[in-house]
Amino acid sequence: MALFSQTSQQGFQALLWKCHMFWPVSRCRQLFAASFSIPIREKINCFSFMTSSSTALPVDPKETDVLPTKKRSEIDCKEEGWDEKTKEIPEEKSHFSSSVGAAKKWSMSRVLPRHKFSNVQPPEKPLQAEEWNKLREDFQLPEMFEEVMLNNMIRCNSPIDVAKSLLTHVAKRNGDIAYNVLVKYLTLCVRQGQVSEIRDVYDIMKVRFKTLESGAYNLLIRGLSNSDQWRMALTLLEEAKKIMIPSRTCYESCIEAASRHQEMKLAFELYHEMLAKDLVPTLDILQSFFNFSRGMKGAELQKQLFDILFYLRENQIYPHKTFMWSIKLWFESIPGGNWRGNLTKIKDSGQCPVCKQQLEDSNLTEEEYSNLSERIIRDVIHGTDTFRKTSPKEFEAFQTFVENRLPFDIVIDGLNVSHIKSRKMQCENLFDAVNCLAKENARLLVLGRKHMLMNSSNWKREIMKEMQNKADFFFAENISEDDAFLLYATLQSGKHCRFVTRDFLRDHKACLPDSVTRHLFRKWQRGHQIVFFPSADGKGIRFLPAFCYDCVVQTTGDTWHIPYKDVFEEKYSYQVPRKWLCIQQKL
Amino acid sequence: MQCANMLLRKIVRSSVLPFAAQHGMKKDLFLLSRTLSLSLCLKQDKACEPSEKLDLDEWKKVMKSGVQEEVSETVSEPKELSSLAAARETLEMWRLAGRAVPENISEEELKTFMECPSKSAKKKYLKYLHLKELHKKSHKRKMDEKRERRLEAQDQASNTDETKKSSFVYLSSRTMDKVYHWRAAQSMIFGQPLVFDMSYEKEMSVREVTNTVKQIVLGESCNRRTVDPFHIHFCNFKDDSLYHKEFVKHYREAWDKLLITVTDQCYTEIFPKDKLVYLTADSPKVMKKFDHDKIYIVGSMVDKSIKTGLSLARAKRLGLETAALPLEKYLLWSTGAKNLTLDQMMHILLTLKDTADWKKALEFVPKRKYCGFVNKPVKELKKTLDLINTLKTGKGMGRSRKAICQKPPQEVYTKAKVE
Repeated sequence: MALFSQTSQQGFQALLWKCHMFWPVSRCRQLFAASFSIPIREKINCFSFMTSSSTALPVDPKETDVLPTKKRSEIDCKEEGWDEKTKEIPEEKSHFSSSVGAAKKWSMSRVLPRHKFSNVQPPEKPLQAEEWNKLREDFQLPEMFEEVMLNNMIRCNSPIDVAKSLLTHVAKRNGDIAYNVLVKYLTLCVRQGQVSEIRDVYDIMKVRFKTLESGAYNLLIRGLSNSDQWRMALTLLEEAKKIMIPSRTCYESCIEAASRHQEMKLAFELYHEMLAKDLVPTLDILQSFFNFSRGMKGAELQKQLFDILFYLRENQIYPHKTFMWSIKLWFESIPGGNWRGNLTKIKDSGQCPVCKQQLEDSNLTEEEYSNLSERIIRDVIHGTDTFRKTSPKEFEAFQTFVENRLPFDIVIDGLNVSHIKSRKMQCENLFDAVNCLAKENARLLVLGRKHMLMNSSNWKREIMKEMQNKADFFFAENISEDDAFLLYATLQSGKHCRFVTRDFLRDHKACLPDSVTRHLFRKWQRGHQIVFFPSADGKGIRFLPAFCYDCVVQTTGDTWHIPYKDVFEEKYSYQVPRKWLCIQQKL
Repeated sequence: MQCANMLLRKIVRSSVLPFAAQHGMKKDLFLLSRTLSLSLCLKQDKACEPSEKLDLDEWKKVMKSGVQEEVSETVSEPKELSSLAAARETLEMWRLAGRAVPENISEEELKTFMECPSKSAKKKYLKYLHLKELHKKSHKRKMDEKRERRLEAQDQASNTDETKKSSFVYLSSRTMDKVYHWRAAQSMIFGQPLVFDMSYEKEMSVREVTNTVKQIVLGESCNRRTVDPFHIHFCNFKDDSLYHKEFVKHYREAWDKLLITVTDQCYTEIFPKDKLVYLTADSPKVMKKFDHDKIYIVGSMVDKSIKTGLSLARAKRLGLETAALPLEKYLLWSTGAKNLTLDQMMHILLTLKDTADWKKALEFVPKRKYCGFVNKPVKELKKTLDLINTLKTGKGMGRSRKAICQKPPQEVYTKAKVE
């Protein structure tokens, strides 16, 4: 803050006092720091030292330093560098710097640490051109000064007038302002919602440059859509379309603006337009539809919103908590709809405790089944080269092996299961698991690798022998992928067959090239994967059964069941939410 | 700030502190002004507003006025730009906005840019061009400086006016080249073959292919300079493939004079199968020592996206023996993929061939990828390493695994290593 001519520092102090009343709280703290940082001793100094020199002013750097208190301590530790001229001055006189210029430089150095631009503290008030010049000259990279300064203004959310004074200074100096500086200024305006300024900047840009680029359009659209001139944002969106595909945040701003002003039709038009452009709508867009349609009538509108729910279903998107509330409130606000929403958890049987409705089961249709098995064989097992995961010969052998022994009830990933407890021998782990699962008289298939047959410390031959009486075993080559075989065997065995592994199968899902099949794969996985873990007492193994109901947004016409996430963050695709919103229509 | 001063002056004149003002004792004035500040709060004054001098919207006027002339020239003609010109405009605006965009861009590059499938691909391509441009510029600058220095040195030398006659036999680079060529020619007849498998073009992007060729060129040049070079074979090499184009770009007319064997045949057709060893990082077998009777195959592929098992699949299909470098055995691996660049491979193989010293050979593995050499096999050091890790992180392997068990099930990769 040593931006003020020395003569007026004290006056500024007084001003700061005054401004306490009008400035936001966050500023207040800084100001307090500034105005109370004058040590008592120094006040006395003012009386005790009287010099004839008019320039010998009490210059306590702290006094002019309006850095936040937190930062001050850091700087105090680092910067004990007195100006050379003041070095010789004895302790008690050190408040008097020998020349104004030196004092200025001194305090400049505390405002601008030499290594980091992010610590540049923008001034609190508009400055005169010469003051800016001074600052600029003291800055280590003068050509970057405006940019750095504006960046920091954006960071500190400085008053817009300060930025204006900087622009004025730049304009006077160069007769022109660079585009990137304008964009930065625009960012500041957008942050503070200065609509008239945004318009002015747009007008200037329009005249000065033939086209604008995406960044500026994004900012302009976002800034204007939050104002009463939101229609202008729409025209800007049209303009932006000529040179690029607008980002989804542009659409988001426009759609939210339109729906805020109850122009639902327009909002939905924009929404479909962005879907047609292959943009993935943000959840905020979808949520805003529900928020702003609250209490509105209209069959068409209802259909559109139901379509959004189906969109969630198709893409296996789980809304987060706040979004879920928007949906619930919208349903309950439908005039004459008699919808009631409740939050609940679905039982393992797949029954909703609130409306006693049985949820959709997780089974795929015959067509989906055959489709998925085909894709698994084609993309996961063979891929670009069959030799990458197996070999044609081995795969054929496996196929005949499975066909001769079909159908299995449970397919086990032997190696994965064998690692369940690190303290135990691997073959014992597998033995426990096989025993656990064999109790129910199920037909088991265990997949392993050939090295399991070699008698070693981890794989005892006797135990392996015993296991082979209880389950069928297939040993793949040591350098083959056994997971692909696991998927294939399970799919071949049919709907009732489950598989056991702790693997999330992400890499196999990634082999499937299109999202439709990937979703299908996930659905199938949810319904057929048994996950196991050591039980709490550390003795046995516990299994998490596969879901018997499907975990997606679903409806029966007079009920809706919507799974939702607790937090906003994206869940992994293999995790499914346990909480549900049950909405039923009381007729 | 003047506003504050003016305000003060007003106060001063308004009889509060006449004596102070007259005497010019500003200290007193300021001191008193501080006491006055409270009363200032009560006044609704205009001190906060900028003074008349500072017109905040002046920049707008400047901008608009400065533009008037330009506008008269370029009355924005509402004609449709061609897509190329439009792209150029966009790039220019991005550059002004301070993005990483090259200043000059050729038609060809512009077309490549427009063919990029996604926004992020476009961004990456532009950044690449931008960096390339910067490198070029700095290189040029350095060259200019060097030239100036040389000229200065020459001036000084001419001043001294002494023709230095050294008694050393002067070896010109041409002589050296001749020696290298003789050696390469010898290796063509007697040298141990080293095969580069050129069948990966389909699996690579254009940029990966160019990088591959660059690496091979580096490898070839260091092979030429050794005492006992390999006889390099490019197998499965298709003429007018992308590889070919890139090689010609690098070697120009020297391409046809290179002392290597280039063939479109597969290595299995040229060499006996039992002598071939395919080097691949995915191989379960670890190379124990360099065998002078074997013919090693290196897959010429740069793999920026993780395509595991491609070269292993090739070897499996042809039923060839495979091997991986014993990186685990000799190095404490820290980060990075175990697949090395082709020139590094070349260096390592050449060193092995000459010295059979693994430690020396593995010097060519980038230093960032490992922490140090190991005298004992890593397996025996496992306990020590675990201990070190325990001390570092404050939790041991066993315990952390236990913690995992109580969490929701985690993915466990259970790919047992084959000894």
